[in-house]
Amino acid sequence: MAEEQTPADSTPPGAPIAARPSRAQAFRETLNELIRLDGVRGGLIVTPDGLVITSELPPRFPVEALAALAATLGRELELGSSRLERGAFRTALFSADDGTVFVGGSPVGYVTLVADRNVNNEGVRTALGRAVDRLRGTWRTPATA
Amino acid sequence: MGLATFLERTWSGITGLVRPRSAASLFRLADQYRHEGRYEDAAELITEGLRVSPNIAVGHLLDAYLHVVFREMPAAKASFRRVLALDPYHPRALFGLARIALEEGDIEGCRPFLDRAIQYFPDFPEAKALQEMVATWTAPAAGVSSSIGAISTERLRLPPGARDLVLTHADGTLVFAQGGEERQKQLALHMTQVYRIASATLARAGLGALRRGVVEGASETSFLRSDGGIILGVTLAREVEVGAGLVQVGRLWTDLNIKV
Repeated sequence: MAEEQTPADSTPPGAPIAARPSRAQAFRETLNELIRLDGVRGGLIVTPDGLVITSELPPRFPVEALAALAATLGRELELGSSRLERGAFRTALFSADDGTVFVGGSPVGYVTLVADRNVNNEGVRTALGRAVDRLRGTWRTPATA
Repeated sequence: MGLATFLERTWSGITGLVRPRSAASLFRLADQYRHEGRYEDAAELITEGLRVSPNIAVGHLLDAYLHVVFREMPAAKASFRRVLALDPYHPRALFGLARIALEEGDIEGCRPFLDRAIQYFPDFPEAKALQEMVATWTAPAAGVSSSIGAISTERLRLPPGARDLVLTHADGTLVFAQGGEERQKQLALHMTQVYRIASATLARAGLGALRRGVVEGASETSFLRSDGGIILGVTLAREVEVGAGLVQVGRLWTDLNIKV
């Protein structure tokens, strides 16, 4: 291992994720607005490198595993939109028999929401699009800590 | 406060300002900034830390993370490899390289990194999630003809403005696609990857098998439908509402009369 340890490698994989101040607060507010929508069970914001900025998921939910998959999915959606010249990736939804996962893309990272089967897809997608636009704004205008 | 204490504190303050910070403290602060989303500030500290101490694995790891955030994948890969040169079993560096291999479509190259990361650090839920996801993936069978039979596009009710119609098996084997050969290949590869990763995400969330998908880009929206064996995709204008788009894709699905 490294000679000198910092949280980047001293935090063992799977360890609890500590809350951080500053711009992360804006991310938390964005996520809190989204998870208040009808039918949305919870969600998280993860950076492209897989760092969970904030998460609000039901107890016993596999946060780390979901974050890794969400970051991988977000990156694939981003790359595909670019390679296939469909414009920058904004939002996506994937529905299954028992619920729907929404993903929003921004330079800061990916917003992932877990929702019920009968959620209002159009309503959540619109709200997620607005949230993604706000996150793009935070990327362009560096916040102070 | 006595004069001696006052002088001591003042002197301590002055020397504290000019004393060079250790690489460890620079990396610690950089990691804090990274968690706060202050990537540019973090990058400066990492550069400074690596200048002072170029052989600290965590500095290169943080450097790699920031390259990923800035989508500088070749540089990220080089930094993850520097970490491994210093610490051959660093689980986070192995995981980082696995993810890059995955996004490059190199499934065979991805697996050994995940295996090594988990071998060294068994309690690694992120790596396990990806390992389980890729475990069943196979490369598309080249040149295999479709078991679905001939696709008659004439009887398809293609929505106005529809493009990039694509039909594949879940393993990525192309059945039919619009466009030139290179475009077809890209469409099939991307749609299969999205299907597989989204399926794994839905399964991990306990929601069941993927049935429908909608991907909104800045200029177009793509719709996806699957029964687990076959994946159908089509791209429509961005203005098309989710419900209307899904109805149109459902109609195409019916027209294709898909029987796996």
